[in-house]
Amino acid sequence: MAKRYLILEDGSAYAGEGFGAGATTSGEVIFNLNLLGYQETITDQIYHNQIIIFAQPAIGNVGINHDSYESILPTAKGMVVRDLTNISTNRLSRLSLDEFLQQHNIPGISGIDTRHLIRKLRQAGPMKGSIVDVADAHAFDQLNATVLTNRQVDQVATPKPYPNPDTGKNVVVIDFGLKHGILRQLSERRCNVTVLPWTASAQDVLNLDPDGVLLSTGPGSPLDLGTGVLDMIREVQAEIPLFAIGLGHELFALANGAELTALPVEYHGSSHPIRRIITNDVIYATQGQGYAVLAKSIDRDRLITTYVDLIDGTVQGLRHRDFPAFSVQFFADGAPGPHESRDLFDEFMEAMTSREG
Amino acid sequence: MPKVVVDAMAMQRALTRITYEIIERNKGVDDLVILGIKTRGVYLARRIASRLQQLENVTVPVGDLDVTPYRDDIEHDAQNEPEVTATNIAFPVAGKKVILVDDVLYTGRTIRAAMSAVMALGRPKSINLAVLVDRGHRELPIRADFVGKNIPSSQRERIKVSVSEIDNRDAVEILKA
Repeated sequence: MAKRYLILEDGSAYAGEGFGAGATTSGEVIFNLNLLGYQETITDQIYHNQIIIFAQPAIGNVGINHDSYESILPTAKGMVVRDLTNISTNRLSRLSLDEFLQQHNIPGISGIDTRHLIRKLRQAGPMKGSIVDVADAHAFDQLNATVLTNRQVDQVATPKPYPNPDTGKNVVVIDFGLKHGILRQLSERRCNVTVLPWTASAQDVLNLDPDGVLLSTGPGSPLDLGTGVLDMIREVQAEIPLFAIGLGHELFALANGAELTALPVEYHGSSHPIRRIITNDVIYATQGQGYAVLAKSIDRDRLITTYVDLIDGTVQGLRHRDFPAFSVQFFADGAPGPHESRDLFDEFMEAMTSREG
Repeated sequence: MPKVVVDAMAMQRALTRITYEIIERNKGVDDLVILGIKTRGVYLARRIASRLQQLENVTVPVGDLDVTPYRDDIEHDAQNEPEVTATNIAFPVAGKKVILVDDVLYTGRTIRAAMSAVMALGRPKSINLAVLVDRGHRELPIRADFVGKNIPSSQRERIKVSVSEIDNRDAVEILKA
């Protein structure tokens, strides 16, 4: 395999072996601490325009399978790994990671000291980076001249409504760049789903007469989406049970008067214990966030804090005081695992049923 | 074979949802008191109170009512009308929002007896009813405000609720007669 480089905007360059596509790409460099689930990670649209460093040193050893896609066309900008294991004996494996990345024109680079890089990013905060063939002055000029878009949701969310029919409850999913795990969990519960673009108005939602509304995960900053979507949320939550995840949770918080703060370093992992306040017990879940709801900005007359991260203290769940509307920052669909927060989808189902009375 | 219709996870979830619905409906927990109907309603009432404590950091008073056994597996007749035989309520109920908690809502006669007992203690601002299971077959015009699960049942069946505090596990089962 060809020698390639990961270069960062601080001027450093790391030599490694290229795999996947031979493309030259730029993006925001972040790291993911999950031990499992590289396929879900690379296909999750929250990583749009990002180059992902995997802390797990051996990547590729279960290939790519049918059941773990989180999007149809992944838009991450690259994979940085310690060791690429391109032989997979997993019975579910359909193709190798290398082939998959070639299909989707995503470059990968292996043989990188990922521990060192992650330590550095933890100190330095967000950084742009490129995966290139030659780490010369020209490449750095190109990188420094790159302006990353803040229109990530527009890039990855559906521009048109589409159905995912079944025979159960009518659920409208507002798509901000959803991961398939959300649709999978709703399918398992027989929901008759209509996915709407994130620009849908409250009237568009109510016209479909849904039993419940779900605000999906998505990439980027919720502050870049304008106030129209917040008006929509305020109107819909007063009428229909609402469940929001990830970016949806951040928007739900904004719509109800809370403020957000950008984390010094994005957190992507599943090793933080999360306290479920109502029962005072601990769960684990896959988390991926660059922003967090500012705890002291929460208006206690409108919102109740329901989950809190025990490592960094971030708010992980909210619930509206007056309506059956609730949200979680972490990925309750459990793709990749842990699966123990999937019963939030059951809670959503029961909120819809209970309302029929 | 008993059929488990609500497992431990689902029971936890139902109580969690009922707790949130109580906050929603009452606009907070001010003036709230919770009364559990013996035997299992008492434990469910305590669990709801501990959830409110976790969320709102407020101690909601919990009391209990002992209603003469009126079980759906005992032949019922005119002599078997339930009444409250003992109460353990160490706080006034006058002017309070009372939440009655029971495990199974069936004929409604137990709830009627419980309401009479509460009324005898004072005039509450309101009485709401939370039940883990509503199995139908009402004989009085009573309905629950908060329902864990609706289980349409035949009158020949028995609904058995187990709570971990005294039964070592959480479950709702249907037993065929």
